[in-house]
Amino acid sequence: MAPMIPTDDLEEYLRGDSALSRQYKREPAPAPPPALDRQVQRSSSETPVRSPYLAPLALAASVLLSMAPVLAIVFGPQPKQHTDDAPHLVRVAAHAGAAANAPLDRKLRLYSSDPPHTRAPSAWLADIAALRRAGRNSEADAEFRRFRAAYPGYSAGELPFWPQADF
Amino acid sequence: MESFDEDAGLMARYRDGDAAAFSTLYARHKGPLYRYLLRQVRSSGAAADLFQEVWSRLVATRKRYEPRAKFATYLFHIAHNCTMDFFRRGVRRAARSDHSDAQSPEPEVPEYQRPDGVAEFLEQQSALLAALAALPREQREAFLLHEETGLTIEEIARVTDVGLETAKSRLRYAIRKLKKSLHPVEAHARPLRTRTV
Repeated sequence: MAPMIPTDDLEEYLRGDSALSRQYKREPAPAPPPALDRQVQRSSSETPVRSPYLAPLALAASVLLSMAPVLAIVFGPQPKQHTDDAPHLVRVAAHAGAAANAPLDRKLRLYSSDPPHTRAPSAWLADIAALRRAGRNSEADAEFRRFRAAYPGYSAGELPFWPQADF
Repeated sequence: MESFDEDAGLMARYRDGDAAAFSTLYARHKGPLYRYLLRQVRSSGAAADLFQEVWSRLVATRKRYEPRAKFATYLFHIAHNCTMDFFRRGVRRAARSDHSDAQSPEPEVPEYQRPDGVAEFLEQQSALLAALAALPREQREAFLLHEETGLTIEEIARVTDVGLETAKSRLRYAIRKLKKSLHPVEAHARPLRTRTV
């Protein structure tokens, strides 16, 4: 265990008038050689040396930083699509005649998850008619119910077919 | 801007391009810094190298200088770091030499660390300086920082990166040992007197 030292020694010394301090000040006080003085004084006016690699590195870093958002979008992880968001395909096995009558871009595909008013009534009715012609009356009825719900004011006279059930 | 002392203001002026401010700072601190280094590393050649390195670092980093404390703490913190690097380099060199050449009769250590070098150095010293040289490095540093720069214990702790109590303890042990060198006869006589009581 280290021996206890009276704090008075330290306090007396820190007051600055101790015999120890007086003796130390009487000791020779070497100074730096004049040549060293000149060297330091000369170097004090020199501008700090800058690395020649700093400027290109800074440029590269700024370019990389500015491109980071774009790179993050392109190469970053893509958000997963929920399977529930995918449209449900209602496959309609229409016969060749119906397929020929259907518009080219539709190809007799009905998406029950489509918002009702995004489908034109005429196209929707044509699809229902195709279902009827294919003999799939229950599906045609179900589709016609959805059609009615979407377009309740649509005139029955405009229907290209007569519904099987009472709507 | 808060100014902690006149030297901090001079350093701020030097940072802003006033070359004359550096000359004043240098004239004020070159002696204490040189003696601190010389008595820490105990070799005039190494002290000269370190002296130049300390000022070079100060010059190189002047643009980042912010006067947050007394200028002497800033300067001597650089000096402390340079000295620590110097001692680490010495230890590494000695270790490398031990590993690479086990046959070598003389390990490659700095001159001041060799027994003959130390002896030669001590011959030129007074009793007090010899006692100072014999102190552990940390205690010697605490004493030199207080004597050469007038730093308080808090400032010594900051310069040497230690806690306040550690700095106080180092200084306390240093002065206790050094005081013995001032009165060697008395120091030896005291235990005898206490035994006879």
